[in-house]
Amino acid sequence: MELFANLAHGFVVAFSPINLLMCLIGALVGTLVGVLPGIGTIATVAMLLPITFGLPPVGALIMLAGIYYGAQYGGSTTSILVNIPGEATSVVTALDGHQMAKQGRAGPALAIAAIGSFFAGCVATVLIAVLGAPLTKLALAFGPAEYFSLMVLGLIFAVVLAKGSVLKAIAMIVFGLLLSMVGSDIETGASRMAFNIPELADGLGFATVAMGVFGFAEIIRNLDHGAEMDRNLVQQKITGLMPTRKDLIDSSPAILRGTVLGSILGILPGGGAVIASFAAYTLEKKLAKNPSRFGRGAIEGVAAPESANNAAAQTSFIPLLTLGIPPNAVMALMVGAMTIHGIVPGPQVMQKQPDLVWGMIASMWIGNLMLIIINLPLVGIWVRLLRVPYRLMFPSIVVFCAIGIYSVNNAPVDVVLAGAFGLVGYWLIKHDFEPAPLLLGMVLGPLMEENLRRALLISRGDWSVFLSRPLSAVLLAIAAGLLVLAVLPALRAKRDEVFVESEG
Amino acid sequence: MSDTPSEAPVKSILPKWVRGPQDFIGGLAMMAVALFALWASSDLQGMHGFSFGAGTAPRMFAVLLLLLGGAVALVGILKDGPHIAPYSWRGPLFVSAAIVFFALAIRPLGLVVSAFAAFLIAAMGSHETKWIEAIIVGACLTVGCALLFPYVLGLPMPMFPRFLIQ
Repeated sequence: MELFANLAHGFVVAFSPINLLMCLIGALVGTLVGVLPGIGTIATVAMLLPITFGLPPVGALIMLAGIYYGAQYGGSTTSILVNIPGEATSVVTALDGHQMAKQGRAGPALAIAAIGSFFAGCVATVLIAVLGAPLTKLALAFGPAEYFSLMVLGLIFAVVLAKGSVLKAIAMIVFGLLLSMVGSDIETGASRMAFNIPELADGLGFATVAMGVFGFAEIIRNLDHGAEMDRNLVQQKITGLMPTRKDLIDSSPAILRGTVLGSILGILPGGGAVIASFAAYTLEKKLAKNPSRFGRGAIEGVAAPESANNAAAQTSFIPLLTLGIPPNAVMALMVGAMTIHGIVPGPQVMQKQPDLVWGMIASMWIGNLMLIIINLPLVGIWVRLLRVPYRLMFPSIVVFCAIGIYSVNNAPVDVVLAGAFGLVGYWLIKHDFEPAPLLLGMVLGPLMEENLRRALLISRGDWSVFLSRPLSAVLLAIAAGLLVLAVLPALRAKRDEVFVESEG
Repeated sequence: MSDTPSEAPVKSILPKWVRGPQDFIGGLAMMAVALFALWASSDLQGMHGFSFGAGTAPRMFAVLLLLLGGAVALVGILKDGPHIAPYSWRGPLFVSAAIVFFALAIRPLGLVVSAFAAFLIAAMGSHETKWIEAIIVGACLTVGCALLFPYVLGLPMPMFPRFLIQ
């Protein structure tokens, strides 16, 4: 019954006027960036990090969370109406969703996407509440050795489930770990790799690097293709939002399966919402009696991935809130947001900051409700926004980001650093290095180093401690097994197949 | 001069035995980063007894990155891979210029001037920019930010050029 007391407490927190407002703003901004192609969720959360500085911590995190799941809603709108996925998570939705729109059934497609997302969001909210407390208890029993091994496992998971070369992704993690070590050493206070630059004495700002690598780099890359993107909007008016009875019957099992699959994949570190939507689509196609319907406007092809990505977006908060380990780049940014407000993420957060954790969980349910209410009537406005050309959007983002970074510390050097990381990020993209693992490495760096040092201090310098403690050994064994599996050719082919599916 | 990268294969300056130039260069660059980190942390204290010094972890991870970078470069030698994607110059140049200008101007010139000017510099990054439109949007954005950051969010920053206020 503790669960209900906690949830009730959460709803009290989330229903305060300021938090309701933050939730609404987050959901709206999320939908907006979800709708607009060319601005990713990660970049947006990075951009808004500095702004949350002046807000109370609970409100700030509620807003950032709203952006993340709001973007999953918004992404589907663009996929269905324009056939350009606003977000990576909605790539597969475009396959059948846009076909439905062409057949004049845009309304039902949008409605099913929203209903599926809402259902998935509700399930995921309950799941977070249920799993939160027991996982936290487990985490509190961890010693430094177990914690270190857990982080290794988390990072390996992230690498295995992500797209692209495993080797390069690990290199990016280590690069991130190195970046996290710039600044003062936690134990001795010695200045490390800071070259006597006073702004570096406290380390590289997390918001600075994130904004550079995701915000600026993405803009520069988008400019490569010229600022104009084709936007062949579906011209006919959207009539009749209501899905038919048959639509509902056809899509409800798909929504259910998508939710389950998405919830599981969301908890695992790595792909999160993106891989969840791909996997859900693949599953539906495999289970369908008549797979040839897919790609020609099958409603299951909209319902399943949209439910899955929303479920995954929300369950990925579980490792963050209970273990303090971010499973993907957006969650890494949430860690950044918590740190800005002086909250150290980890199992103790749930006990020390019940307002924050339960308020955020409750706000997710409220946010989902807001999204379904505001989104369907507002579709027309979102579509009109798509006509804002990128040539006006990108300089605005640049300026907005620059002011944002400056405002964190009132330091012009931070702005220049972010610009430099923008160029680094552009180079990384050109060489097919994924920037997300870099961010994960940078966030986990201080925690990993601290636990590694403590574990070795307790064991008197004996490295075998990581293998002699059973829990730690199991975690490391799973990590090693995953890594071996990932480089095996058979599984690699399968993994690539999941990502290639969309291009067909 | 076109600012969109051409699709034609770039003539490789790398020797023939490099089969995946993208990975090869990428790996070398990671190795360079690792060597730089090793050099930068060389003045830090290492292990004393069985406890880590300030320099232990950075050197450990730098060595790891050196090995990983080597492995990536090796893949680039052994396996056929993509060529280095062509870079364009216009976007990176003007976006960076806008950022650097903003950083230099925010203290002496204040938010209003530096934001507006940075907007126009960044807008030069695309050849599709229409100037009248850009000036209007830039002005609106500047006004919006000048209200949002100091008043709504309560983050104080200089608004106008210093010489005007005095």
